[in-house]
Amino acid sequence: MYRKPGRGRVLLLVFLALSIIVITIDYRAGSGGILRTAREWSVAVVAPIQRGFTTVVRPVGNFFASIGELGDLRDENKRLKDENEQLAAENTQADETLEENARMAELLELEEAWPAMDNVHAQVYAKDAGNYGEGVYIDKGREDGVRPNMPVLAPEGLIGKTLSVTAHESLVVLLVDTNFGANARVRGERDTGLVRGRGSADPLTMILIGKNSEVEVGDEVTTSGLDEIYPPAIPIGEVIRAEVRGGQASKTIEVEPYVDIAKLDKVMVLMPDGSATGGVAGED
Amino acid sequence: MAVSVRDRRMGGFSELGIGRAASFAGMLLLAIAIQSTLLAQATVLGVIPQLVLVVVVSLAFLDGERVGTVVGFFGGLLIDALLPGAIMGLTALIFTLIGYGVGLLRYMAPPDSVWTPVLTVAGASAVAELGYAALAIIMGQRWVSLEETIKIAGLVVLYNTLLTPFVFPLIKRVADRFRPERVIRL
Repeated sequence: MYRKPGRGRVLLLVFLALSIIVITIDYRAGSGGILRTAREWSVAVVAPIQRGFTTVVRPVGNFFASIGELGDLRDENKRLKDENEQLAAENTQADETLEENARMAELLELEEAWPAMDNVHAQVYAKDAGNYGEGVYIDKGREDGVRPNMPVLAPEGLIGKTLSVTAHESLVVLLVDTNFGANARVRGERDTGLVRGRGSADPLTMILIGKNSEVEVGDEVTTSGLDEIYPPAIPIGEVIRAEVRGGQASKTIEVEPYVDIAKLDKVMVLMPDGSATGGVAGED
Repeated sequence: MAVSVRDRRMGGFSELGIGRAASFAGMLLLAIAIQSTLLAQATVLGVIPQLVLVVVVSLAFLDGERVGTVVGFFGGLLIDALLPGAIMGLTALIFTLIGYGVGLLRYMAPPDSVWTPVLTVAGASAVAELGYAALAIIMGQRWVSLEETIKIAGLVVLYNTLLTPFVFPLIKRVADRFRPERVIRL
């Protein structure tokens, strides 16, 4: 079959060049400028269609989800309450040093910080369309006071932070995303470390700085408040594996998030200092 | 059949009327909306079928490499724009190549076989998934484990292939309606 390849090939070269230009701009300039505008437009154009589909499906989806979830939540609740009580009991029984008591007191005080913060409730209406990035879209944006880098919570615990924000929508990067990182601590321990995502199929990893902590499977991991985004004491997940690598001054810990990212629905965006961007959390 | 070649040279975008361009845009927007809501919720094993890719491959297969190139670029860019933390343009680059490649490949495939679009989607999905993973890793993106990458690629190929018998006829119907007279003679 005879064909003249001319125009198709020219067109291909043009669009390959365009792709490479976009990649270069994004690689160099990061999230600013013309690409951010393009992203915002794309999000805003697709959002009404996505919301349409989500609205149509939600009643059915929720019906099935709620049957399974109710039991789960009750069990989870009961388990957590039991655990809490047990931990509290252990804490009081333990003959701790003054220093530790002071530290616990400090922790308790810090714990009151995030529930008192300003927040806005939002509904998850879509996921990102890819299999590697882990993000969801929520129906609150700039006009609702949401800004990039605000912590986002589900009833069970931390789900991530806002990444990019348009007028009425925000993209939330989930804690299982490979780009996610948060400073964290194992409840009741002194050492802190970095929790990172490894994709939706794998648990989070936590690199704990220092070997002093006695971390055990089942311990609760919370935010530490030492980074600029997350206030302290937001529940992240539960330790499912803890090991010390020989010769290293750190422990590698695997953490299973409390939140089931496949079932995200209603979430809450925390607004430290009203709606300032990335205010230092936990400071009074 | 060779006649159509001459007609196709008539002009870069002049054959792309407004109605036709709008129909392509509409199909892409609808595809990404479905992919990020219905398909993202009904995932099996946590893997989302890539409906946009099925649309790009179908249109390239039906309308040739030039439509494939343009639709591939914009479809890929749309996906990039909605991803968190990804380098924008990677999917656009890969879908552009796939749109062009599929558009050329169709001249070698048996035209009326039901299996041709299905197998084309399967092959294109594998190339897209592995190509994206390779590019992203080369560009220094933090990535999931190798096993996870292979699992995702395999399942995407499977899901996309299963979607094709339902999606392809729909796209063919829409594409046929908006295709200008002089190109349809193929």
